Amino acid sequence: MGLSEYIVMRELNHPAINNFEVYRRLGGWDAYANALKTKTPTEIIQVVKDAGLRGRGGAGFPTGVKWGFLPRGVFPRYLLCNCDESEPGTFNNHQIIDRNPHQMIEGVALSSFAIEANTAYIYMRGEFAGAALTLERAIDDAYKAGFLGKNILGSGYDLDMYVHRGAGAYICGEETALMESLEGKIGQPRLKPPFPAVAGLYGKPTIINNVETLANVPLIVERGAAWYRSHGTEKSPGTKCFSLSGHVNRPGNYELPFGVPLRELIDSPEYGGGMRGDRPVKIIIPGGASAPWLTAEHLDTLLDYESVAAAGSMLGSGAVIVLNDTVKAPHLAYKMDEFFKHESCGKCTPCREGNHWLVKVLHRLAAEGHGEPDDIKTLKGIYTQMEGNCFCLLGESAVMPIKSALHLFPEEFEAIIAASGHDIESINGRSVGVPVPMKRTRGRFG
Amino acid sequence: MTILQANHRDEIDAIRARYTSPRSATLPLLYLAQDVYGHLSSEAIREVAEILDLPPTDVFEVVGFYTLYYSQPVGTWMIQVCDDVPCCYLGAEELVEALTHVLGVGEDQLTADGMFTVQRVKCLAACDRAPVVQANLDYLYDVTADKAEALLADLRARAADGKKRGVSGRFAEDFEVGSGGKLTHVSREEPYRARQFDSPSAGPSRGTKG
Repeated sequence: MGLSEYIVMRELNHPAINNFEVYRRLGGWDAYANALKTKTPTEIIQVVKDAGLRGRGGAGFPTGVKWGFLPRGVFPRYLLCNCDESEPGTFNNHQIIDRNPHQMIEGVALSSFAIEANTAYIYMRGEFAGAALTLERAIDDAYKAGFLGKNILGSGYDLDMYVHRGAGAYICGEETALMESLEGKIGQPRLKPPFPAVAGLYGKPTIINNVETLANVPLIVERGAAWYRSHGTEKSPGTKCFSLSGHVNRPGNYELPFGVPLRELIDSPEYGGGMRGDRPVKIIIPGGASAPWLTAEHLDTLLDYESVAAAGSMLGSGAVIVLNDTVKAPHLAYKMDEFFKHESCGKCTPCREGNHWLVKVLHRLAAEGHGEPDDIKTLKGIYTQMEGNCFCLLGESAVMPIKSALHLFPEEFEAIIAASGHDIESINGRSVGVPVPMKRTRGRFG
Repeated sequence: MTILQANHRDEIDAIRARYTSPRSATLPLLYLAQDVYGHLSSEAIREVAEILDLPPTDVFEVVGFYTLYYSQPVGTWMIQVCDDVPCCYLGAEELVEALTHVLGVGEDQLTADGMFTVQRVKCLAACDRAPVVQANLDYLYDVTADKAEALLADLRARAADGKKRGVSGRFAEDFEVGSGGKLTHVSREEPYRARQFDSPSAGPSRGTKG
């Protein structure tokens, strides 16, 4: 049951929507123009609250409520659009900008008006050089048409919008690290509180929303909260652009109402088209690298925030990675934690050191196939010291892959250890691990 | 006045005009310097610090932190192969091996002719088209190991034809300051398209997504 009319991936209904004139003919920018003339910022915040729009970047926090945290009467304010999409398995922001950029820009403009910000920055990961060009052109189109600039459409409202490219750092998707990076510094997170809504970019009230979240805003404002709530579930209204990847026949972004069963996303000929070579599903990561793993027994889980949480994982960014039985759990944990090690900013000890040691042990186990008798205990010891002790969610997320792997597939670790024998003497003759072949690590020198 | 200021004054002014704080211009100015000089030497980093009136340490720190700044010379083409999940289970490992084998150099090493550097990188946000590669930040999709030689030949040909972007992807910031003080893009690049890399010998690729 695919959507007949898409809310975000509207290029599927209107392939040329990435052209400014086509977007205008489809009613694009009308919601914004009307809002400037007839609505107050408070009314826009209210309709977004009523629609129940939840942040699509991972946390699922209600967007309108977030906007309501701004202290009254403190200006200037900033709106930041988070397009640092870098977590393994996530790729819908990339497609939204590529195929439906004007709607995203209109969403940024409408949201800026709602929070009374006169400057908006779109923070893009540095690798999105081509997508940055697409957005800069879309912003130019909006300036030329009079939707950005000074005294927009005679309303007295001013808004400038800029694209800012990062330079390769996953941590800059963390909202306070994003602001540090935008201020020209290294991307290390700030202590919270104060929260960005109170003291954000340049110490001013700041709202940070994800690309997909903001792309939802124009149609919510145009068609109303009740229309939006006719999609999805009571607690998760609207649709989600699921990024499906891994061993499926048709990986891609699929916009679906919240609440579709995982099995349907994977197996339906309209979406995943089943598993490659009909091999069985072994591991499903339903919400990006930081989500606890699910297995084939969870295929009937519904894809909404509450149901995925009830199954013991999290919907997160909606990046669904499906892997078959050729993948070994220790190796998957190794690859995932290698990602977190590489991206650790180095600020706090549990994340910087914990990831380093996790990867050292996992590399020896999974890449070299050499186990030591105490490995499981060692791994548990490392992640227990990380869990709950890291400065931001990156370190906490790094616990998930190894914890999931040890919980779901302990026998695979045991098998490697058993196959290595227990020749303690020869093991003691070598260091704990061999150097991991990852050249660049932010957190550690040398 | 520095060399960058003498030759790129309008661009530097336009970049600075976007931000309340001059320091925010650090990242874009480093991209500019990297494209002009090929990589970020200590002199180039000091020059950026001078333009922004920052302690050089603040800028060195930034160069060390972010992966897209290169403090050593890199190839005309910086080939960055995603080796993350799911790419690593769909052929990225074999691709890295094939590329380094054909070029006869290790990862992160510059080829003798100065044409290529092959580097492993983390997720590039195009997992539906794995294995994914960027060549000077231009996306190349579905690059399996059997396409390695054709990929390198294609890149050599593009470099010979002058169809090459800088390693920083700065074409995205190719603009001039218009009459009203607003930025106007003068980029002569073709609009960004999802490129699928196909070698002549490759079989039919998967259909378009969605």
